[in-house]
Amino acid sequence: MNLQVVYCSHHAADLSVRSKLGFTADELPRAYDELRAHFPASELVLLSTCNRVEVYTAQEDPEQIPTHRALAEFMARFHDLPLHEFFDDLLERTGSDAVRHLFQVASSLDSMVLGEPQIVAQVKAAYSLAQDHATTGPLTHALFQRALNVAKRIRSETALAEGRVSIASVAVGDFGKSIFDRFDDKVVLVIGAGEMAVETLRYLQNEGAREILVANRTEARAEALAAEWGGRVCPFEQLDQALAAADVIVSTTGAQPHLVDVARFRRVRQASGSKTVFILDLGAPRDFAPEIRDVDENVFLYCIDDLEAICARNRKARNREVDKALSIVEQETERFMAEVHHRATGPIIKRLREQWREVVDQETGRLFTRLPHLERDRAEIERCIDQMVNKLLHPPLEALRDEARAGAPHGLMEALKRLFRLHDSE
Amino acid sequence: MAKVHLICFFASYLVAFVLELTRMLGQNRFSRFVMLGFGGAGFVAHTLYLLARSRASGLPPLLSSPHDWMLVLAWLLVLFYLFLTALHREIALGLFMLPLVLALIAATRFMAVSPEPHFNARNAWTMLHASLLVFGMAGVVLGLIAGLMYLTQHHRLKSSHAAQFGWKMPSLERLAQFNRWSVMIAFPLLTLGFGIGVYLVVRPQQGPGHIGFNDPVVVASSVLWGLLAVLFLWLLKHHHPSGRQVAWLTICAFAFLLIAVVGLQVLSGSGLFHTEAHTATGEAKHRLLSRQESPA
Repeated sequence: MNLQVVYCSHHAADLSVRSKLGFTADELPRAYDELRAHFPASELVLLSTCNRVEVYTAQEDPEQIPTHRALAEFMARFHDLPLHEFFDDLLERTGSDAVRHLFQVASSLDSMVLGEPQIVAQVKAAYSLAQDHATTGPLTHALFQRALNVAKRIRSETALAEGRVSIASVAVGDFGKSIFDRFDDKVVLVIGAGEMAVETLRYLQNEGAREILVANRTEARAEALAAEWGGRVCPFEQLDQALAAADVIVSTTGAQPHLVDVARFRRVRQASGSKTVFILDLGAPRDFAPEIRDVDENVFLYCIDDLEAICARNRKARNREVDKALSIVEQETERFMAEVHHRATGPIIKRLREQWREVVDQETGRLFTRLPHLERDRAEIERCIDQMVNKLLHPPLEALRDEARAGAPHGLMEALKRLFRLHDSE
Repeated sequence: MAKVHLICFFASYLVAFVLELTRMLGQNRFSRFVMLGFGGAGFVAHTLYLLARSRASGLPPLLSSPHDWMLVLAWLLVLFYLFLTALHREIALGLFMLPLVLALIAATRFMAVSPEPHFNARNAWTMLHASLLVFGMAGVVLGLIAGLMYLTQHHRLKSSHAAQFGWKMPSLERLAQFNRWSVMIAFPLLTLGFGIGVYLVVRPQQGPGHIGFNDPVVVASSVLWGLLAVLFLWLLKHHHPSGRQVAWLTICAFAFLLIAVVGLQVLSGSGLFHTEAHTATGEAKHRLLSRQESPA
């Protein structure tokens, strides 16, 4: 059996190349149709995400393996691109290296953000789509199912996916959810309309936040953001009222001097009472004076440095788990390859047993014809011969199994074929 | 069953607590299962111990002695701990709950192991009194734990230390709600329990168990109830009190209540704290008990 992957990923290829080679959800059915037309003898799975484009192929006959160049030409044709624009960015792995690569991809060891959870779902979806297009076979079934199990094992046996590593996820997941139990009854005020505000809003909406106020010096941008997230625009002149009404404040303007100083915030607190307020100051420089943290016990103010410190600590903790995860990948790759090689010996073992069975049947038939008085002991004699056959076959088959554990036992299989005159056609 | 001793479940809970402490170093599924295993084993031994004591005295565990009553309280807390830990694996409830459970079990070592002489154990009112008090006290302990968790979580958030690996707690909002509800539930239960208790001890009766309003247990209980009533009324009056204020008040009131109730039981059980009722010797108690148990 032969297995390979031709791929480009964020490690070697620029975003411009990846985006050109990527397959959208609408393009994938046509891509599968064309792949099947060009490589009818191969099992095929296509994995396309924003960080990687990978084509896995597997086939019984080594003569039928699609070459690196053939797959690159397919991509060039499909995307209508000159081959030289991306050929050097396409890498290739074969055999156990291809298996190891998929296991690392599925368990997020090859991801841009170590431990990110989306990739396993993307691998699962790619495998499922390949099944729908009937391009999978015994080897790709075994490979992808094992890859999903390896990802699960790494997730449960290591802390690779523990702790959040993006500013917005730490802000909402670690701090916000430690303060508030729910967000659907909270008022969220977003000051500024930067990228960080948008990402934080995404997390807050995932947690159920519904009432969103947007305040920005440029009202058109505030209106656009409010429209995108189903919020309301708050005029910048009425910021104090909005600050008093808000339970969660996300500020990203980076104004100088501070947008809200202690005196202003004290006035806001007089209007809002002592309710708990969670402030995310994501502006650089800070929008809220640091002393606001101590205005009263129900004010929880965090700046980008607080959040970045947690992200860095979590990234460090994840990195400590990489060796453990890689050793699991290594174990699983070895196990998978041993199973594949063992499976490859199956037809030889079957043919050998069938051949010996035929010889036994012929000779016992002849014996009982010549010596009919042995008929009453027929069962006992047949059992004895079966045991002899099993004992004689045991050493060569055991040697074959041992060889399969170390790698493809091509030499031994060839020797068995020649010694016992086993033919491929059988 | 008779071979189960107090030390069996005390040791199990202690091991579970040590394992809970090790979780602070990092989440480990294996240590969590072992911890739950020790907690569960302790709980089974605890249950068997209470059943054996109940069978030996012929009374329900709530009424057989202050020692058993306190063990029922600890049993309820362990049940709550196991339930919540199985449900929310990341929350470090055991760090707060198990030391209190261990302290309660240790305190029972110094408590009377025979029934209170002034209570008629066959009376439904007595059972109701003991049940209301034990549930009320369970509410008190849970409120105390919620208060401690609130202050810890508040401190962590104020100093920008969000959830660490293996060391998570519920949100401040949930802890504040839990704290408030624990007072709202514990106060009516304790009020009813104390009320029935006062009625039971001061009603006209004869024998060595009769005590009056000037009995230190009655006086101390009344003072404690008054303290709790103030807290209850304050919570009713302030619709949006600060979570930290509620936490401090419940911790002070509940810790005082817990120490006082346990202390009174320990002092009366050890013979250091004498009332007319508590001077009744073990022999007199047994005489009383046998009279109560007779069909007449």
